[in-house]
Formats: sequence, C-alpha cells, structure tokens
Amino acid sequence: MDIEITGGKIFYTFPIDFPILGKFQITETLVVSWIVLLLITGLCIWLTHDLKVEKISRRQAVAEMLVEMANKFVIGNMGEKFRYMIPFVAALFATSVVSNLISLVGLRSPTADLSTEAAWAVVVFIMITAQKIKTNGFGGYLKGFTTPIPVMTPFNILSELATPISMACRHFGNILSGVVINGLIYAALALASSKLFGLIPGIVGKVLAQIPFLDVGIPAILSVYFDWFSGIMQAFIFCMLTVMYIANAAEEG
Amino acid sequence: MQVQELVGIVPWTFIAQICNLFLQVYLIKRFLFKPINAMLEKRRAMADAEIQDAVKAKEEAIAMKSEYEQNMLEAKNKANEIVTNAQKTAAIQSEEMLKEASQQAAAMKAKAESDIAQEKRKAVNEVKNEIGGMAMEIAGKVIEREINEEDHAKLIDEFIANVGEAS
Repeated sequence: MDIEITGGKIFYTFPIDFPILGKFQITETLVVSWIVLLLITGLCIWLTHDLKVEKISRRQAVAEMLVEMANKFVIGNMGEKFRYMIPFVAALFATSVVSNLISLVGLRSPTADLSTEAAWAVVVFIMITAQKIKTNGFGGYLKGFTTPIPVMTPFNILSELATPISMACRHFGNILSGVVINGLIYAALALASSKLFGLIPGIVGKVLAQIPFLDVGIPAILSVYFDWFSGIMQAFIFCMLTVMYIANAAEEG
Repeated sequence: MQVQELVGIVPWTFIAQICNLFLQVYLIKRFLFKPINAMLEKRRAMADAEIQDAVKAKEEAIAMKSEYEQNMLEAKNKANEIVTNAQKTAAIQSEEMLKEASQQAAAMKAKAESDIAQEKRKAVNEVKNEIGGMAMEIAGKVIEREINEEDHAKLIDEFIANVGEAS
C-alpha cells in the first residue's frame, strides 16, 4: 500500500499566465481560507447581534470577554499607543486558530500551506520595519544595522531577514507535522485494520478488511496534541511574536 | 486532480492570503470590535452618569443634613430662649405676686391695726361713758346729793383720766 502526502488540491487554474506570478489557481488553501473568513465573520455577527447595556446574555458576555482579552493582550504587551493594532492582532489570531482547528472537520488547514504563513510573516515584517523607520527615522534604521560594530552588518541583515522566515516556518512546520503524522497514522491504522480483519476467513473477512475500523477513535488522541494544542499554541506564538517585535521596534533608540 | 507542492510558496496564494488577512482585519473590526466597543462605551457613560448622580445625591443629602442641623440648632436656641423668657417672666411674676401679697398683707395688717385701734377707742369711749354714768350713779348714791354740773364734769374727767392711765 502506497501513501502519498501532498499539498492542497488545485480546483481550477485560470489559463492566463502572468509574468513572475504564474497562473492564478483556486487551491484548497484559498477555498478553506474563505470558509475560515466566513466562519469568523459569521461568528462575530452572531456574537454581537442584539447587544444590550445591562442584563447581558451569555453570548454577549463571551463577545465582551473576547474583546477584553484582545485589548489586554495587545495593550499589556505593547502599550496604550498601539491600540490601533488590536483588530489586526485579533484577526491574525482568530484566522490562525480557526485555520489550524478546521482540520478537525476534515478540511485541509490553510496554514498547512507555506504561502499562508509567508503572507502573514511578510505583513508582520513590513509592520516591524515600518515601526523601526517611524521610531528612528530612515537613517537611524539603516544605522541600526551597523551596531555594535560595522563588521556585524551582514549578520544584522541576516538576522533581520530571519525574523519573518522563522516565524513563517515555525508555524508552518508545526501544522505540517500534524498533517503528515495524521496522514501516516490514518494510513498505518487502515493497513493494520485490513490485515487484522483479513485474518477472518471467508467473505466476512474480505468485507471487514475493507473497513478501517482502527481509524475510529485512536487518531483522536494524537489530534489532541497535533491539532488542539499545537494549533492554538502556534497561533498564540505567532501573535505574541508579532506584538513583541513591533513593540521592540518602537522602543529602540 | 492536480495537487500543490507540499512545501512551497505560490505567488497568487501568497497575495490572496495577504488580501484575506486584511479583509479579516476589516471584518473583525466592523463586526466585533466596533459594536462591542460602542456598547462598552455606552455602559461606561451610563456608569459615569450613575456615579455622578450618586455624588449629586450625596451632596444634596449633606446639604439637607446641614440645613436640618441648623434648623435643629435654631429650634434649640429658640426653645432655650423661650424657657429663659418663661423663667424670667415667672420670676418677675412671682416677685410681683410676692410683693403684692406682702403689700396686701401689710394693708390688711394696717387695716386690722386701725380697726383694732378704732374698736379700742370705741370700747374706751363706751367704757368711759358707762364708767362716767356708773360713777355718777355711785357718787349720787354715795353722797346722796346732787352735785352741780360743773363739779360733776370735773369729777368724770378726773376719773377718766385715771382710767385712761390705768388702761
């Protein structure tokens, strides 16, 4: 039995070939991303309909708690002047968490595609750089590469570029490892199941061998780590790093 | 069906994901943060208004209390004044009454004394007359002769003078 773990499916490819960018493809990543987008937006609309000032419903309490948590997270780590960052960080976290956890319903996580994390990391990198230039001026930003001694310049540039790459790869690696291990486990358990029930003689064994009984339940245990823990943890780490890097960029003198 | 590379960056997906992220930022801002923050702001305003009301009520209560205390003080002062006045009046009245009583008593005493003196005088005059009569009778009987008027009066006067000394 051969198993193959591949990237997301490509549903449709537009025939026009752009220079550099190539052909636009509707991939599984994009479709699931849009589902995630709709899910989060729908959740927000559902949470915030019929808001009241007093005698609030449980639903509204949850919405308020989420907003308060986002406020506390961003303002606690970055300070009051970064209040405008709250929706960005919240959106990043929500998208990341829902994308990671959507694999639980059988869809392919958009975060199992490096393009997604690369996009986020590049956005964050641009924000960090913009913040640095805003804090120190463009000259100050360039001068920052020559500290503490000019010889360090190449390494400083390298470390600067390593920031988005490490952020993207850390998140991607964790989610991809989940995908790979889940794929392996499912395949292995299916195989074990077919061999085990194949031992039963006659037609009954042949029929039962086709059904991967062992795939029920057992992968859920691994899913606790690879989907739940890793998914939430990586989303949190990504947001934490975003917040920390930008706050640091604002402090550098 | 075609599949993507397991690890790789697809430029269009990359761009689309950036767009998705910013779309998500807008949507989450529009549908979660805006209504919730507006509601929280409203609640804060309401709480502020309530606190201000409470402060106002407290101030009013304090004002009322001070007014009440002042009123009480005034009432107390007034009561004290009334009591003092009453005491003063009572003292004056009693003094007057005493004075009047003593005056009355004195008047009564004086009247009684004058009455007594008059009675005494009356009595003395009666006694004088009786004694005069009696003396005349006795004298007439003793000497059995008629003394003239002149001697008679003289004798009586002498006798009365003696009696007056003796009495």
